[in-house]
Amino acid sequence: MIETLLSDLAAATQARIAAVTTADELETIRVEVLGRKGKLAEVSKDMGKLSPEQRGVVGKLLNAAKQSLEETLSTRQNAFAAAALAARLECEWLDLTVPAPGPGLGSLHPLTQIQAEIEDLFVSLGFTVLDGPEVETEFNNFDALNIPPDHPARDMQDTFWLSNGHLLRTHTSPVQVRGMKKLGPPLRMIAPGRVFRNEEVDASHEHTFYQLEGMMVDKDVSVAHLIYFMKTLLSAIFKRDVTVRLRPGYFPFVEPGFELDIQCLICNGTGCPVCKHSGWVELLPCGLVHPNVLRLGGIDPEEYSGFAFGLGLTRLVMMRYAIDDIRQLQGGDLRFLTQF
Amino acid sequence: MKFSSSWLAEHIDGLTLAPAELGSLITIKTAECEGVEAHGAHFDHVVVARVLTSEPIPGTHLAVTSVDTGRYGIKQVVCGAPNCRANLLTAYVPPGQLGVTNAKLRGVDSAGMLASAKELGISSEDEGIIEFVTGNPGDAIPGCSSDTIIEIDNKSLTHRPDLWGHHGMAREVSAITGRALRPLSADLPSGPAPIAVSIVDPKLCPRFSALRFENVTVQPSPLWLQQRLESVGLNPINNIVDVTNFVMADLAQPMHAYDAAKLNGGITVRTAADGEPCPALNGTTYFLDPSVLVIADESGPVGIAGIIGGGPSAISASTTTILLEAANFHAASIRKTSTKLKLRTDASMRFEKSQDPANTVRALARAIALLEQVSPGIRVVGGVADVYYPAAPPAPIEFSLAWMRRKLGKADLTAAEVTAILTSLAFGVTETDGEFTVTVPSWRATKDVSIKDDLVEEVGRMIGYGNLTPLPPLVPNTVPPLPPERAYLRGLRQLLTAQGYTEVYNYSFVNEAQALELGLPIADHVRVVNPIAQGQELLRTSLLPHIKRNINDNAREFESFRLFEIGKEIHDRGRDLPEEIPHLAAVSFTKHGDGTASLFELKRLAGTIAVGCTLEPATAHSYEHPFRSAVVILRNEPIGRLFEFHPSAVETGRAAVLYLDLVKLQALRPETGKYRPLRRFPTSAFDLTVVADPRELAGRVLGLIEPLAGPQALKVQYLYDYTSERGRSMTYRITVGAADRTLTSDEVTATRAAIIKGLEASGLTVQS
Ligand SMILES: [Zn+2]
Repeated sequence: MIETLLSDLAAATQARIAAVTTADELETIRVEVLGRKGKLAEVSKDMGKLSPEQRGVVGKLLNAAKQSLEETLSTRQNAFAAAALAARLECEWLDLTVPAPGPGLGSLHPLTQIQAEIEDLFVSLGFTVLDGPEVETEFNNFDALNIPPDHPARDMQDTFWLSNGHLLRTHTSPVQVRGMKKLGPPLRMIAPGRVFRNEEVDASHEHTFYQLEGMMVDKDVSVAHLIYFMKTLLSAIFKRDVTVRLRPGYFPFVEPGFELDIQCLICNGTGCPVCKHSGWVELLPCGLVHPNVLRLGGIDPEEYSGFAFGLGLTRLVMMRYAIDDIRQLQGGDLRFLTQF
Repeated sequence: MKFSSSWLAEHIDGLTLAPAELGSLITIKTAECEGVEAHGAHFDHVVVARVLTSEPIPGTHLAVTSVDTGRYGIKQVVCGAPNCRANLLTAYVPPGQLGVTNAKLRGVDSAGMLASAKELGISSEDEGIIEFVTGNPGDAIPGCSSDTIIEIDNKSLTHRPDLWGHHGMAREVSAITGRALRPLSADLPSGPAPIAVSIVDPKLCPRFSALRFENVTVQPSPLWLQQRLESVGLNPINNIVDVTNFVMADLAQPMHAYDAAKLNGGITVRTAADGEPCPALNGTTYFLDPSVLVIADESGPVGIAGIIGGGPSAISASTTTILLEAANFHAASIRKTSTKLKLRTDASMRFEKSQDPANTVRALARAIALLEQVSPGIRVVGGVADVYYPAAPPAPIEFSLAWMRRKLGKADLTAAEVTAILTSLAFGVTETDGEFTVTVPSWRATKDVSIKDDLVEEVGRMIGYGNLTPLPPLVPNTVPPLPPERAYLRGLRQLLTAQGYTEVYNYSFVNEAQALELGLPIADHVRVVNPIAQGQELLRTSLLPHIKRNINDNAREFESFRLFEIGKEIHDRGRDLPEEIPHLAAVSFTKHGDGTASLFELKRLAGTIAVGCTLEPATAHSYEHPFRSAVVILRNEPIGRLFEFHPSAVETGRAAVLYLDLVKLQALRPETGKYRPLRRFPTSAFDLTVVADPRELAGRVLGLIEPLAGPQALKVQYLYDYTSERGRSMTYRITVGAADRTLTSDEVTATRAAIIKGLEASGLTVQS
């Protein structure tokens, strides 16, 4: 009796479940049949009237029917959920080719970039990075570098003199003096920074530009060491093996003093307009630190020697990016600056 | 400085190097050669020619001539020179030289040109075609030949007084090539001094030497002399002056010739009296002061020492006796005077380099022979007037071979090599077992060479630096950490670019107008004393003037942009060096919208850079939006400002600016503290809505709530606001909790009540 009832209910419910078209209908059936007050629950209430043997049989049937219905129900539920999710996702179609809102990436000034690159290079070779002020004393800028007053070398550097009696440094070399006093021997230091020359500005001349001073002081530092360091560093900077040559150059704070040329990277030394057909491009002044400079830096020139060099960062940037107007670098024009 | 290669060759036995090669060698070993240029190549083709006939072309100033050119045959040439006449010996330029072509003038064929001295590049004489007294058609132009000029960068000769003349450079070439330098005559007449000379201050004038000549004929120099001077950039004037210039260009010793008849009494080398006038031979009268050294006779200055001669005593056509001066002056004094008078002459340029006092008599000896050549019949009167205060001879320089090897990094350098090089450069060398004692020739001793390090250069450059093997250092290498300030600035720049800001670099200068626009007191600025261009008067005490310019410039090109600068404010500290304080200026600009977004974007940026900073409303500066300006506070210290530029400061749009003092910011960065254990007991939160004046500040109310909430308050958060006619309603969420237990609801309620009570006591209404 009750078995028939149960199997009819199961069959009818299976049919209804198969026929539903929405998740809501399915839920209605679940509540109606499997819910706490559902039809199966009613059936199980009636079981109390049965004999223990019958109760066992019916109980098994009841569980089987319930389990079967739950499985069917769950399968359909999952199907509905999957369909609903698919539908929702489809609605969430997005065009990822439109530009992202908000700010894009900014860019670092090319001088910052090249400076960082060269700093890292020198640091990896054991050089400390030092800073010096833009406004310097006449002593540090000239006298301590073996350029006494009335020295003709002062003519070589048109100086901005200031109302406080000081000057705008004409080179980063005063940091040599500061570096020797701060670090003591042996030392390896570089000092990048802004320097000033009092001259008219045009496409190839600036009153404000950037240099990187370098100095190494140790026992028995020689010209051959200087050449080694310069060759190593310049090869790293230009990312290829460079050929360098030294020729005499006069700078009062070094003795001997050199102009360092690199073989023209455009024509590899065969001659082209960039190197004025000489095959060589003048790149940086350098030399062995003058004993007077060491002495003024508190270092005994009989015990120590050193080399120093000055690298033109502005020039390097212009070479690297083929910039033909030096004024762009401090013009603040974002059309230019966002290219780097 | 221009060097004639044929002039150099005259000093050296058998010099056969091509000038271009010589130029390269000089660059590598001595001084920078800037160029090698042919000079007077046409002298290989131009010939002496005789005018056979000269017929005027009617109605013109021209004449048609028939010319015997020897080498090129008889030519018909049209000539416009007033001195063109039959039988004249002149110069013929064939077509193809000096731009001359076969031409038709007034319908008459002209095959070539008869030329003036100026057209030939000999002198500036252009009154007519050149005239020769002797010679035959087809001869080369007497005394003139093609040459090659080697131009050396003056800067690279700064320390080499001896290289301001051909003889000195020839000595270098001799050392470079190993060819012998020809000796110069040093013969001087003996006899009584022809003039009394006194030197007041031997420091300013260590030596004054002079010769007197009579029976002088002043006339143009022979062509060879004119061409030679012209080729190195000196103008031929007359035979006497040309000789002085020739000797200067040869021996680097400036000379001056006075018309002896115009001198009154003896010569005194003294400083000028204040305001003392000196009429110079350039036509200008200079009014001098006691820093200026003059050559004076008994009537007054007859020349400014080492710079320019006087006008009245200059050589003229009527001169028959001359006094020839070769003196030596203190380099710094000449340089100072030359700068002060803004008068740089060929003489002053040389004296500035510390010339060799021993050179005066060499120059006089050289001049005698030349004057005899260019002024036939000239006679020396008496001997040399020579007042000389020689400096103590420099001590010999000592060094060891081992030391020289270490300096150059060349272990295989031999004593013989060192000796040979130094000897070739005229150093006196004695060497025993690798210990050197070296004496310096007088022309290198004035300034250039005084210590052993100076000799490293001499040896190194002559060996050739290219012959040194690059040597890695033997000292150990440790990689030092990047200094914290640098690492900080580097990180900051990365952060800013990641947030969309592009870096600009601006000048350290501002002009007065820029400073005034931003209300920066002019007197606070360090001033540039000698700006050569506008806009360089002051050193910036703020980055903002240029930032403002950057905004307006870029607003013409972009609808919106972000930029930043990290640069130094420079603050006057009187006689001390100014204080240079790195600052950050970040700008977010937009042409459209109400500007709120830019300001809050920068506020968020401030929070990223200065973690934990707060903003406090500030009294706006004149260039700031009066209601959009705040001070950025970090750990109770102001570190900068956030503001929008006043509409009158920008041409268009809205520009929000974050301006921070990076020194203060770095100093106030929080130190990394100890870890705080995670909370083990649940927290509770409740919201409160405060109703206040429409312009009540959310931050101020937050500041009131925090202390009221007591120690159990973990977080007080502003959520949102709403403005109605009742005022500004601001909702806050307060989260409370205890470390050791769960707070009871009574405790939470009590906290809430305490806050409400406190807020109400401050005059605020709390919505229930
Ligand atoms: Zn090239």
